Amino acid sequence: MTKWRIMTVDDSAAILTIIAAYLEESEFDVVAAERDGKVAVRRFAEIKPDIVLLDLIMPGQSGVETLSRILAIDPDAFVVIVSSLGTEEAVHECLTTGARSFLQKPFTRDDFIEFMRDLTKVA
Amino acid sequence: MGAMFFGQYLLSKGVIDREALIDGIERQRKTNLSLTVLAVRRGYLEEKQEEAILLRYRTSDVDLEELCLESGLLDRGQLDELLRIQRSDWMRIGAALVAGGHMTREEVVEQLAKFHDSQRDADQELEANFKSCRDPETVKTIVELAAFHVGRLSDRPIKLQSLGEDPGALEDGRRRYVQKLVGDREIFVVLDLPPAMAVAVGEGLIGIPLEEDSETAIDAVCECVNIIGGNACTRLEASGINLRPEPPFSTEGDEPAVEAGSSIRARVLAGDAEIDVRVFR
Repeated sequence: MTKWRIMTVDDSAAILTIIAAYLEESEFDVVAAERDGKVAVRRFAEIKPDIVLLDLIMPGQSGVETLSRILAIDPDAFVVIVSSLGTEEAVHECLTTGARSFLQKPFTRDDFIEFMRDLTKVA
Repeated sequence: MGAMFFGQYLLSKGVIDREALIDGIERQRKTNLSLTVLAVRRGYLEEKQEEAILLRYRTSDVDLEELCLESGLLDRGQLDELLRIQRSDWMRIGAALVAGGHMTREEVVEQLAKFHDSQRDADQELEANFKSCRDPETVKTIVELAAFHVGRLSDRPIKLQSLGEDPGALEDGRRRYVQKLVGDREIFVVLDLPPAMAVAVGEGLIGIPLEEDSETAIDAVCECVNIIGGNACTRLEASGINLRPEPPFSTEGDEPAVEAGSSIRARVLAGDAEIDVRVFR
């Protein structure tokens, strides 16, 4: 079975570790994990993952800025925001910028896997 | 008197001494065993299987009992037997102190009544202190979210002990984890944790063993503060307060106390540890 190729972007190494652990032994393969928005944009251009899981609040280049730059490279990129901030304003900004979905932290392993499987129905 | 656990109350009132409380807690630890420990002791689970179930439990909303069944490692009959043993052996601190000969049963009953009265007073005092804060809704939201997430991640019982203005200095031996919220107000959400609590919170978040003050442990607690801050912004939006978080950071210094005009300190008991949740403005 071909696995979904996932890129995670979060300044927190803890969140990158959690997501990698949650996706272990699943139909998802974390092919890149980046802690910096600018680096993530370059990496995206190189590897073109199926799904990008992108944090919103990051030092330096923010999640929304990173999202815009990824979409400038590939307007069909499937980018999902994963953030502890779930205000209507934040969700609206991300979705209007071009994010496909939004997941608020914290989440359990079961919630996360279910969310990812739902994503694959539309990705 | 602030809110506290019964054992701590007895200690503060001089009813028991420190050694008695330690003995009581140790007796509880020996008898109050989790289902999976009981399962290992009865030979129903191997230690590696127990570890796998616990890792999954920490990162899931599913009950431990349900997880044991779901994993196929325990059947319903074994689980019911373990639950019966657990219930019959479970010891509260009062019973543990009686068992250790530190108090009589009558003394425990008498002190429990006094304890409940004092806790009612403490709860009322806390409520009044929240109300007297500048911007009480924001402070209460942050303190409650912080207590909830720290308790959930460290798997320790949480009790808000006291709340009030404070100069904001970091106590010796602790590390400070900070997130600034900006927008309608400029607020700092702060957790001051001793190293063991930071490790407990970090391990609860990422599910792997961590070393005290390691980069990963610090990063994990920063992420916990990020969750508290982000969730606070989300919750406060419903009250018309618009805030957004900035990236969290950690420090061994007093910042941002010096630049803050007001500083609220909530002292929180997390099991046998004390932590501070602070809100600077």
